[in-house]
Amino acid sequence: MKIIRIIVQLLVLYGFLLIGEAIQALLQLPMPGSIIGFLLLFGALLLKIYPLEWIDAGATFLLSFLSLYFIPATVGVVDYGPLFSGKGVWLLPIVSISTLITMAAAGFVSQYMANRQAAKKEVS
Amino acid sequence: MVLTPAALIFSTLTVTAYVIANFIYLRFRKTPLNPVITTTVALVAILVLFDIPYETYMEGGDWIAFLLGPAVVALAVPLYKHRQLLQKNLVPIAAGITAGVLAGLVSGTLFTRWLGFADELILTVLPKSLTTPVAMQIASTIGGIPSLAAVFVMVAGFTGILLGPYMLHALHIDSPIGRGIGLGASAHGLGTAKAFEYGPESASMSSVAMTLAAVLGALLSPLVAWLLL
Repeated sequence: MKIIRIIVQLLVLYGFLLIGEAIQALLQLPMPGSIIGFLLLFGALLLKIYPLEWIDAGATFLLSFLSLYFIPATVGVVDYGPLFSGKGVWLLPIVSISTLITMAAAGFVSQYMANRQAAKKEVS
Repeated sequence: MVLTPAALIFSTLTVTAYVIANFIYLRFRKTPLNPVITTTVALVAILVLFDIPYETYMEGGDWIAFLLGPAVVALAVPLYKHRQLLQKNLVPIAAGITAGVLAGLVSGTLFTRWLGFADELILTVLPKSLTTPVAMQIASTIGGIPSLAAVFVMVAGFTGILLGPYMLHALHIDSPIGRGIGLGASAHGLGTAKAFEYGPESASMSSVAMTLAAVLGALLSPLVAWLLL
């Protein structure tokens, strides 16, 4: 029975994706349809339009193999060997440095704001 | 997507390699043995060795990559389960993620521009700190190269988990919220796995950060690309 429930819920997830893609195409949004589908599902869960139990098993199952689904894409690097033997090799340190800047900004700002919020609570 | 013999062979090969890679990783638990890396290296080696074009491989690969879209939608479920954590820390989380996503998009664009890279490559680097399925779809939406974007996402992830902890320490970012949001917003799923080592609260924060950064990144990438290119 659990397998049937998972399959049905996977189809529901696919349904949200199709709706998201339809909205994206209809409104010409510069955003992936999957993100629109994600927002629709998150909204439906928050507003209690769609209960968690009707999607939980399928979503958890699908997400437990998440890294498998992008392996066909990473294998595509096979076609970009020449890029990395030339100037393109500079893209790697750029990505690394920009990643550390991202982490510093996100970590510092969130911690600073959390401390400020905590200090405010103590005063009041 | 057509069911050809190649489709059957290469989808089976990918799943088999992935299962073996996971088995090896669980046995030794060393970061460089990350299943995505080992599976990719093994499959690339097979394609090169037997002179198989990527296009042929993708007859099977497409069947697996097909699941990326539904998986992005499914990310709503873990985020919903963390909704109380999100509600309680809404301001610090929102501020941190906005700062991180903007810093990443702007620095990535500026560095690649300074070195004179083509727009197509700049747009490919742009979504590097977002979770792979979203990064690939953003890359294809704004005119980058999805498979190359996935490679940069891996580079970002490994930078985050290998060098990130030293930087967090040096900058005195030592609270669960600071560590979690920092790792999740910059190094996506890999960062979230790392955040587990700091404790469950850091891990939950990181998971929330990964998802929200992906949503915000999807909204802001086209805008930053339009403003800076």
